Amino acid sequence: MRRVACAERPDWRAKAAGCGFGFHTIDDAPYWDESAYYAFSLREIERDIEAPTEELHAMALDMVERVVANEAWLRRLAIPEPYWDWIAASWRERQPHLYGRLDFAYDGTGPAKLYELNYDTPTSLFEAAFFQWQWLEDQLARNALPAGADQFNSIQESLVEAFGSIARSIARPFRLAAVRASSEDQGTVAYLRDCALQAGIDCELLAMEDIGISADGRYTDLDDGVIGCLFKLYPLEDMFRESFGQHLPRSGLQLIEPPWKAILSNKGILPLLWETHTGHPNLLPAVFDDGGELPRGWTRKPLHSREGANIAMHLANGQQFASDGPYDGPCIRQASHPLPAFDGRYPLIGSWVVGDRACGMGLREDATPITKDSACFVPHAIVEEARGVLMA
Amino acid sequence: MKRSRTAALLLMGTAPILLTACNSDREASRQGLYTSVEACVAATNDSATCKQAFAKAQQDAVATAPRYTSRAECEAKYGAQQCVERNDNAQHSFFGPMMTGFFLSQMMRNGAAMNGFNSAPAFRDNRGDWQRPATGAGAGTGGVYRGGAGTAMVPVSATPDRAVTVSRGGFGESSGSRGAGS
Repeated sequence: MRRVACAERPDWRAKAAGCGFGFHTIDDAPYWDESAYYAFSLREIERDIEAPTEELHAMALDMVERVVANEAWLRRLAIPEPYWDWIAASWRERQPHLYGRLDFAYDGTGPAKLYELNYDTPTSLFEAAFFQWQWLEDQLARNALPAGADQFNSIQESLVEAFGSIARSIARPFRLAAVRASSEDQGTVAYLRDCALQAGIDCELLAMEDIGISADGRYTDLDDGVIGCLFKLYPLEDMFRESFGQHLPRSGLQLIEPPWKAILSNKGILPLLWETHTGHPNLLPAVFDDGGELPRGWTRKPLHSREGANIAMHLANGQQFASDGPYDGPCIRQASHPLPAFDGRYPLIGSWVVGDRACGMGLREDATPITKDSACFVPHAIVEEARGVLMA
Repeated sequence: MKRSRTAALLLMGTAPILLTACNSDREASRQGLYTSVEACVAATNDSATCKQAFAKAQQDAVATAPRYTSRAECEAKYGAQQCVERNDNAQHSFFGPMMTGFFLSQMMRNGAAMNGFNSAPAFRDNRGDWQRPATGAGAGTGGVYRGGAGTAMVPVSATPDRAVTVSRGGFGESSGSRGAGS
């Protein structure tokens, strides 16, 4: 794994505009950054990222099976009781899911360490699946990459295939919703809609705020059509506590991601995974937080923080980092395992699972060891090292 | 190879993302898929438009239905007894599915239909899924998959259940303007 400086494509901004990638720059700060890329060997990808992703995904699904039947654990995860039966039923019925992202700390040596599962509302999808792919194709065509360079990224193919395989079990009408004012989230659902259409599924976009409720507790779109299935790029735990949430269990609405994802999009799954698989090479030690002072070597994360908010990190050497944010409530502790630094940047690997298959990755790098919403997306390539270069 | 062989976009980037907002004069489109003129009238209470839309869809079906060189190929996709032989202008013969419904789209303002409509024939394949030609009503959205030689088809949903909305805005309260993704 190396960070390699690389000339940008002269026309990448025009290309971004052409494919609807409007959020390559957010609040005047760059988000898409192709002035460098990360180079991996195929062995690093397959042994250290792809295989552990598939294994951890299977372990995570296995945990759902255990947690839905365990009231003490559901309580530990701060899932409100009125939703327990509905979540359990969604798992018993194996309601279809689409995708998830595992975040890893990895430096090219030793096992990748799982930071968390983003299994409910993962973003950075379009840039990983499509724009990164286009970058590789363009740079190969310009001879800006070693001949034969590849990328761990069949995400788009996998999305279209996954939509195709769950098409029969998606209730219609199918709507995809995100927060109206977030261009990043809107771009992500527009992309998912494109993938669904390519799989032959008729669907429309809707702003989360425009969802309506009928007198008998069914959810409607702007034409008063009763929504059959809703893909919501919106946290389940937020829906639970908002005023329309109470209708979810009896509304007949199908959700993607399905209700059982509430168990996996919760950092409480990390101590449960550790308890069940203590010592697993890809897991970091994790416990539920008792609220006391954070000792050296531990990081505190709320059960439900996103985009690196409200994280407190106390490194073994005494250094401390903290990020602010809007989240409170119960927390977990995870053994501190700082991100590696490459040229003063801290890359976090997002490894995608679509359907149940590990199918690609995207890297985001920040200027500090906590990856926040300010982190830039940097493309990657699989490049086989020439032996002579390694020995030189 | 560890990457997608191809990655293309259908609609993204071809038009700005349009979210219909709740606006004051309540301009919206009404779209429906109907299996008969009677079903259309029951839903829209607009007998004249339903009859015209049906007639136009029937006429268009000859030109826009998926085309197969043999009855067997067509029936493999649309089911037994569901295909008919047709001729194009040059008297070439081919097989295509029977029109089993029609699609009607009207612009509405303040709850009333505005002048004009779009219609298209609709076909139901042997899995029960509806589709219509990519041209005609809603044209410009591009083809999604090929129903048969020459004609790109897009999926359409059957007319949804309706329910009077009593309230909106009960989701999205937590987010403010920040995104909700992670």
